[in-house]
Amino acid sequence: MTNDCGCEQTSQEDITSVIDEVIEFTGRDPEKVILILQEVQKRLNWLPSEAVKYICKVTDITPGQISGVSTFYSQFRHLPVGKHTIKICSGTACHVKGSPLISDAFKRILKIDNTRNASPDNLFSIEEVACLGCCTLAPVVQIDGKTYGHVKPTQVEGIIHDFLISGNQSIKTPESDRNEDIDAEIRIGIGSCCVAGGSKEILSEIITVKERYNLNIRLKPVGCVGVCNQTPLMEIVTKDNIHSRYTNVSKIQVEEILLKHIRPRSLNKRIKGNINDLVDTFLSEDKISGQVNIPIELREKYLNNFLNHQVHIATKNSGILSPESYEEYCMSGGFEALYRCIKDSDQEAVIKTITDSGLRGRGGAGFPTGKKWGISLLASGNPKYVICNGDEGDPGAFMDRMLLESFPFRVIEGMIIAGYSTGAIEGIFYIRAEYPLAVTRIRNAIKSCYDNGILGHNIFDTAFSFNIKIFEGAGAFVCGEETALISSLEGKRGNPHLRPPYPAVKGFRDQPTLVNNVETLTVVPWIITNGSEAFRSVGTEKSKGTKVFALAGKISKGGLIEVPMGITIREIVEKIGDGVGDSNTFKAVQIGGPSGGCIPASKADTPIDYEELTKLGAMMGSGGMVVLDNTDCMVDMAKYFLTFTHKQSCGKCTFCRIGTKHMLNIITGLTDGKATLEDINELEKLCKSVRDGSLCGLGKTAPNPVLTGLRYFREEYEEHTRGICRANKCRNLIKYNVNDKCTGCTKCSQECPVKAIPFKPYEKHEINQLICTKCDNCRIVCPEKAIEIINING
Amino acid sequence: MVKLKINNTDLEVKDGVTILDIARGAGINIPTLCHNERLPYYSSCMVCMVKDQRTGNFLPSCSALGQDGMDIDCSSEEVIFLRQKAVELLLSEHRAECEAPCKVVCPAGYNIPLMNRLLGAKDFEGALKLSIEQLHSYPLMCTDCPGYCENACRRKKVDTPVSIKNMQIFISQQIKLENIFVNQQNILPAEDKGKSEKLSKRFTSHIGRLEEGELMEWLKECPDEVIRVREISDKESAALESASCMHCDCRAMDNCRLRDIADEFSIKDPRGKLVNSPIQKKININTGLIFENAKCIKCGLCVRLCEDFKEEPALCFVNRGFISIISEPLTEEFNNILKFRSKEVIDICPTGALSHFK
Repeated sequence: MTNDCGCEQTSQEDITSVIDEVIEFTGRDPEKVILILQEVQKRLNWLPSEAVKYICKVTDITPGQISGVSTFYSQFRHLPVGKHTIKICSGTACHVKGSPLISDAFKRILKIDNTRNASPDNLFSIEEVACLGCCTLAPVVQIDGKTYGHVKPTQVEGIIHDFLISGNQSIKTPESDRNEDIDAEIRIGIGSCCVAGGSKEILSEIITVKERYNLNIRLKPVGCVGVCNQTPLMEIVTKDNIHSRYTNVSKIQVEEILLKHIRPRSLNKRIKGNINDLVDTFLSEDKISGQVNIPIELREKYLNNFLNHQVHIATKNSGILSPESYEEYCMSGGFEALYRCIKDSDQEAVIKTITDSGLRGRGGAGFPTGKKWGISLLASGNPKYVICNGDEGDPGAFMDRMLLESFPFRVIEGMIIAGYSTGAIEGIFYIRAEYPLAVTRIRNAIKSCYDNGILGHNIFDTAFSFNIKIFEGAGAFVCGEETALISSLEGKRGNPHLRPPYPAVKGFRDQPTLVNNVETLTVVPWIITNGSEAFRSVGTEKSKGTKVFALAGKISKGGLIEVPMGITIREIVEKIGDGVGDSNTFKAVQIGGPSGGCIPASKADTPIDYEELTKLGAMMGSGGMVVLDNTDCMVDMAKYFLTFTHKQSCGKCTFCRIGTKHMLNIITGLTDGKATLEDINELEKLCKSVRDGSLCGLGKTAPNPVLTGLRYFREEYEEHTRGICRANKCRNLIKYNVNDKCTGCTKCSQECPVKAIPFKPYEKHEINQLICTKCDNCRIVCPEKAIEIINING
Repeated sequence: MVKLKINNTDLEVKDGVTILDIARGAGINIPTLCHNERLPYYSSCMVCMVKDQRTGNFLPSCSALGQDGMDIDCSSEEVIFLRQKAVELLLSEHRAECEAPCKVVCPAGYNIPLMNRLLGAKDFEGALKLSIEQLHSYPLMCTDCPGYCENACRRKKVDTPVSIKNMQIFISQQIKLENIFVNQQNILPAEDKGKSEKLSKRFTSHIGRLEEGELMEWLKECPDEVIRVREISDKESAALESASCMHCDCRAMDNCRLRDIADEFSIKDPRGKLVNSPIQKKININTGLIFENAKCIKCGLCVRLCEDFKEEPALCFVNRGFISIISEPLTEEFNNILKFRSKEVIDICPTGALSHFK
């Protein structure tokens, strides 16, 4: 077992006993290899080679299989790590908000370089993860499950310190409370973004205040409201049904907000409270300028703007429904659709409703869902399976995570309906391991369903039986591709293969398998309840219904939004997102993540529609929408996505494995100012070959960011051949300079981690370009805006 | 039955047949690297690409099944271009030399590494025969040659070049005069000579700059202690000196499918090779199996064959993406793998990545 200092002294006896214990409940089946490795790593913190050997010895897994699998998935570690893992998000939103600088700062402060895995004291290891799904809080860092948002390079030392001292703080959680006679209900978001924003601390503080004043209130944790950049969000519903919402609540404001709306029961306490309040008001600046004193119209104006342009189907009852309560879901009409299907409809009728609704797969490509179900129903084979694809790996997308966390029962209901309609007997949730909260919520929800007879044998006393289990992905983006996902379920490397045969005909264990995205399944109950016409009435000619997007990047009000198909990009950016802010100009929108493309502002009046987006060279993708402004370099963006796809390529086919490497090399040459115009032509040709020649969707769409970049921003690519980056983003083409505004306050000199700025009080400072690492610290701390970034080549 | 068009010819074929098989049945040649009839399809190399004109999609013909209404194009410029690109990409990470530097620079194109192997195996007759066959028109030529071979010899960078010239002169001294006369009768006619020159102009892959430590990999081919002899006076000294040869040539130079296809497409060796992982020779001392990762195209034929044999431990894939390689399992030593079927695995390798130590 791991000892206290974090260094690994695991003995052979420990390893064998841990593995024996794991095998006990997983079994020896080679198909279980990923689960076994995950469980062993959970206990040992890494996979020592003795452990791998022993697993082969006691199971039917061969050395070849275990070697292939354990090195394919990035979750598995073959080297020991520090006691705490610092996960630095390198998702799109975090990237544009400067995550590379954060990563550098952590490495510098913890003295971690390429030669070592952990800090010298073995306390910390750094891991760059594809996306933590907290895009609206970018840049985000997670240390052992504790999330820090909006991180600046200068704060890194403070964060490490905060983590080390806050580890022992206890956090109170609410007890369930069914008392109806209450003065108010306090709703607080417990989605990942809210938790990252500190909602657990707020919850704990509310309990403290409640106890202090003996308030007669009920605390209700709710799912995501979508206002993820303003977390934590707190809503108070008083007895007379008046709703008051507060965003960005800080711990110190809790008491005041509560007392404003709810009167303490005893007079004594009230007076005491008032005195406390008065004293606090004098002491704390926060309270005076706090949002409590802002008129309600102003406070909620933005929230209303944000919510008014949305249509909630998948996210129906967001902010009201408690994600963990089965009763509440039932009370809001849950499982009625399922009941209706099983009791009153036959399989064909359900499929006809879905087909008529015009619902298309929300995973990206947009295959008609009803058609897929029909193929699956007709396919011969027994047993049949339904898989919910929750391996949302796009950096910059977190819709699936939110749906799984906030509406677990709705996704499950959708899956059971899909199972009933296609004649399947088993459903599998494939959820990526980076979403622990989603896994927990779904696991608990499945249990509630079994307890209430919604899952298991003879559901609603009919002949229909259905079981659901969960499979946690092990960190491979390519497993979002359905054939790769199935390989992974079968305990193999996640290599895709050519379709046909489609999984609907020959999938998991060679049986007919329906693979649907989380969002697709989530809207199914709504369609059954409200009818296909209701769904059809929203959207465009070919794209019906709504689409959930994760709106992030350079946007004033980011978050999770559900919009009707056909809404224009501009409406989303300007009306819902309230523009780019910071007096910058809106430049482009990146849609569809690494498979999509950058749509320039000039095309922002394009409606959201599968075909329209494809025409522009982007694609719907799974729904990441990252807004870019004039400080973003399009070449750098393309490089970012290519780095991602190249790293996530499974390595099976030539074009994706080697072609993306060549593309990346050329584009790196561009960002270093070393490429020529000829290289750009070569890049374009190569992109087309990779698009035509790759085996699966990952490789076929990998060139999209570059191709759209060349289509809409070619002049920026050409500028880079002359060594000019107009956004001042490409690090090898810029330098930091002190201008005449400098007052000689010495702050930059004190903050510089490499002593590149000599300490000269009351004099204009200078930066030694030979030492400067371009960490951006000096620019952040300068109160006079005297540090500017300029192009090396003018 | 399925009705489809291949190169504008209407065909009717059985269900579940791959386009590759349909095309071959119709007499259309499609090159492949990662495909083998006895193993399930995989589609990794993508040199068998065809285009379905109906959808505009390109498909790997080895795994795409013929479907009703398809209009397959196997031979247009577009298709050939994509196939060429696939081969070029494979070659761009193929850090290998088809021929040894000594052989490349020899004006007669003499197979020097083979001579060394024959001498080392004490097969003096064989070496004699080789010399007669390959240097028939100019048996004494080496005497007058400044010795380009020794100048190019990779051993030079370790200590001193192998005494190739002296060894060959010693061999040629053993050739009896009558032998020469006999052979002079057999001098190839002019057109045949042209043919052999054409053969020597085959596609040749180059390594480019060696990374640190890579040179020493070839030394693994030599015994731990070699006794160097400069003057070759007898068979023993020739055998001793030949042991210092590092066998830089590729053992698969004459039966490499990658090289054949490169020739077929008249591809030039791409400049600026990608350095994926360093050149490395793994030698299994028990079976004589050699694995050279830098030559591997990751087609997975060996892995699939091993799975088919169900022999364990065998070869497997390790890592993901660009850095994925074929390797022994993490838990095993290379010396312990493929105890029984290594010959078949070597035979199926389309390049020289897997070979036998001789």
